[in-house]
Amino acid sequence: MALLDVQNLSIGYQTAEGLLQAVEGVSFCLQAGQSLGLVGESGCGKTTIGMALMGLLPSNGSITEGHVLLNGQDLRTMDEDALRKVRWKDVAMIFQAAMNALNPVIRVGDQMIEAIVAHQPQVSKDEARRQVEGLYQLVGMPVERIDDFPHQYSGGMKQRAIIAMALANKPKLIIADEPTTALDVIVQDQILQETKNLQRELNLGIIFISHDISIVAEVCQSIGVMYAGQLVEIGTSEQVFYEPRHPYTQALVASFPTLAGERKELKPIPGEPPHLIGKIMGCRFCDRCPRSESQCKLDRPLWQEVDAGHHVLCDHC
Amino acid sequence: MSQQAVIALKQAKRSLWKERLAEDWRVFHSNPLGRIGLTLLIMFGLMAVCSYIPPLIDPMYNPMTGVDPKIMASTGPSVRHWLGTDFMGRDIFAQLLAGARVAFMVGVTAAFMSVVLGTAFGMTAGYMGGVTDTLLMRAADMIMVMPTLLVVLLLAALFGQLNIWTIVLMIALFRWPGVSRVVRAQTLSLKQRPFIDAARVAGASHTRIIFRHIMPNVLPLAFLYMTFRVTSAIVIEAALAFLGFGDPGTVSWGMMLQWVWKTGHMFRAMYWLLPPGLCISLITLSFYMLGRAMDEVLDPRLRDETSAG
Amino acid sequence: MLKFIIKRLAQVVVVLFLILTVLFVLFRLAPGDPVERMVDPEMSVEDAALLIKEFGLDKPILTQYTIYLKNFAMGRFGKSFHYGDPVANIIREKLPNTVLLFTTAVLLSAMVGISWGKIAAWSKGKPKDLALTIASLVTHTLFLPWLALIMMWIFSYQLNWFPLGGMMSTSEESILGLDITWWDQALDIGYHMVLPLTTLFLIHFGSYLLVMRSSMLDTLKEDYIITARAKGLTERDIRNHHAAPNAMLPVVTSVGLSLAFSINGGALTETVFSWPGIGRELVFAVSHNDYPLAQACFLLIATVVLFANVVVDVLYAYLDPRIRY
Repeated sequence: MALLDVQNLSIGYQTAEGLLQAVEGVSFCLQAGQSLGLVGESGCGKTTIGMALMGLLPSNGSITEGHVLLNGQDLRTMDEDALRKVRWKDVAMIFQAAMNALNPVIRVGDQMIEAIVAHQPQVSKDEARRQVEGLYQLVGMPVERIDDFPHQYSGGMKQRAIIAMALANKPKLIIADEPTTALDVIVQDQILQETKNLQRELNLGIIFISHDISIVAEVCQSIGVMYAGQLVEIGTSEQVFYEPRHPYTQALVASFPTLAGERKELKPIPGEPPHLIGKIMGCRFCDRCPRSESQCKLDRPLWQEVDAGHHVLCDHC
Repeated sequence: MSQQAVIALKQAKRSLWKERLAEDWRVFHSNPLGRIGLTLLIMFGLMAVCSYIPPLIDPMYNPMTGVDPKIMASTGPSVRHWLGTDFMGRDIFAQLLAGARVAFMVGVTAAFMSVVLGTAFGMTAGYMGGVTDTLLMRAADMIMVMPTLLVVLLLAALFGQLNIWTIVLMIALFRWPGVSRVVRAQTLSLKQRPFIDAARVAGASHTRIIFRHIMPNVLPLAFLYMTFRVTSAIVIEAALAFLGFGDPGTVSWGMMLQWVWKTGHMFRAMYWLLPPGLCISLITLSFYMLGRAMDEVLDPRLRDETSAG
Repeated sequence: MLKFIIKRLAQVVVVLFLILTVLFVLFRLAPGDPVERMVDPEMSVEDAALLIKEFGLDKPILTQYTIYLKNFAMGRFGKSFHYGDPVANIIREKLPNTVLLFTTAVLLSAMVGISWGKIAAWSKGKPKDLALTIASLVTHTLFLPWLALIMMWIFSYQLNWFPLGGMMSTSEESILGLDITWWDQALDIGYHMVLPLTTLFLIHFGSYLLVMRSSMLDTLKEDYIITARAKGLTERDIRNHHAAPNAMLPVVTSVGLSLAFSINGGALTETVFSWPGIGRELVFAVSHNDYPLAQACFLLIATVVLFANVVVDVLYAYLDPRIRY
């Protein structure tokens, strides 16, 4: 049984102007101990999927279609109480350090102890504290800093604390939402390496959400590319990064600089993503696609397998 | 720039202004507090304007001096006197209308004066920085903390019976710190802008910069911000009058309450006790509502996500 | 932290000093004979001479100023014209009464206002929230003396449930004058305190409620609330352990700012309900031109306000670890 099985997931938000279809028909699978990177520009729906996997959609959002099977259990059918038990025990989230993810008036250690006690009520405070110390060591943070407040931590330390907190209840799936975006490159690199090590050590399943395809290519085994709420390409990192087939993926790869490899001119992608309210006909990328034809505007593109395990949402690939 | 370009730019600016005003009005209008507050305020405004009418109909309706020859004591509502008369036979409704006029006078004047003072101090503090800034802001902090009513009371003790304008001035002297804070913040952010540097390079003196460049950008905000915090002036004047330290020649709602209280009619003449207090409370409420609605207009972050846009 | 407190206290001393000086100047600028400000014209010549000596009213201005400051520091405020007693005694009698009423009122309004504000924020948009918000708006803007009179009319005059004012059934004017049957007296005072307390409460709880409500709503939008929810905590835990401690901070600030407003209200309440406190004495003193008493009452209130602000600042610093560490 797969750790995570997302089947034809569609998520919508109720807004003043109508239903905004943030995610449409997304399907993918994740085995235990595997990592998948979800890449796309802002507003493509990747964070929405991340939130849905935690059962944390805001009150105006809901899963309109499809299923999210975590260890065989469908998150869509669970009520709030059941979801609360799942959150942070079976699946945990790593937020951006730049966010105010840690409560400024509570000591960091206490916030972690809270996460432990909420899901393992039989554990005593002292035992929980020992576990927290272990977590600190795991992510390479000095144990003496447990009783500090979040504002006393540097950006890198905050990110490590957030990672440690996510690991508190030994979840099998971690959703990392842009975990290195606000950090400087050196710290970013350290965190990425440590994340890879932790994943191997603890056999974690990771969904790594980012807008930076080069980071994701480095850390994850598979990559899924999202555009305007749809999954347009998915495959192993080598396949997607070195042999991108969807025009959007190709443009994405071309627009990011890399230190290694040959020098090439950076090419930004002209245009804007489509407005996601109301029904959209045909391919969503066709307005910005160099290979589009008149047919693309009318027919929904096919989900094709172009290589072993490599799928693309396009008719011309 | 060519003549046409200049004209086109001016037109573009004006239409942008109009669009923004329309947008602001829409936000304001969609807020129920704003609508209710505005309605109430208009009602009081009408009262104030109409306050000139009763004495013109018949001198017996003069709020201060108009005594009904047929009535010697406080009487209840009747056809001649819609809200009844006070203990001297004066018409209460006429007094109520006059009170509205006084409330607006006091409120608007006090607000105006505190805006003038607050803008002057705020701009100076923000622009000068350093010691001037610290001193002014410390002074502002201290003044803001003092209970205005009691201070004015003490001054009343020393200087004898106070005239309404003196009262207004004193209230303004204690209200400017609020304005100066906002103005100072604006000035500080304006100070960074390149056009100030340009002016200084062009040789403009500090005073000129303050008056010609900073003030026009700061005044609208200051006015808008303070005008709807006018309420405390009205309430303080009312409290002073209630305690017996108001201007004896002015008929304000607080003064009316003083008369009810001091003549011992407060439990016997509800038609006399209820209207003035109700008016003070309602006008305070309406200004508060307006202030909240204005906040939404001035600070877009406060706008409700569902109010279209 | 200690340095912070000392700095603030030093500021208070400076401000007090300034206020004293301003008062000194004002007293002498005001029309009339400054000597008459301190010495009752109806006093006997010997008594007058004593006072003049005590306050150095026949000496040059600067000497007067130093004597004035010294007297303040030592609590010598002269003799009240109206009562004939030393002002210090009168204050000592009446101060506890004000403290009793005012502190109870502030604590009650704050506690209830804050906890209801929390509830209102949590049920935003629902009937409970609307009711609480509207109630706060309406009561907060009522004119205090008017509300006081109406309360008296309904509950004392018409229903006869509570006395028409005063602090005790006897004409005893200070809780320092309590004797044997302590419990009876306490009940008596409590009975007299209900109406003024309720009036003060009604006027003030609204602002605490509204500030806490809006502060909670802002706090609930913060990222760490999402984290808390992601951790699988119950809504109750999130509300009380994560949101409320953060939401409290702006409320503490607003308490400090609204203190002046509360004190005005306190003085008005005491006057209408004939509660024998410092506020009422100030009003009386001003109406009777009892300068020594008026000045002393005012100075006392000013001092209390300044110290209360220091307390608020210290409380804020204590609650917000970003300041403490």
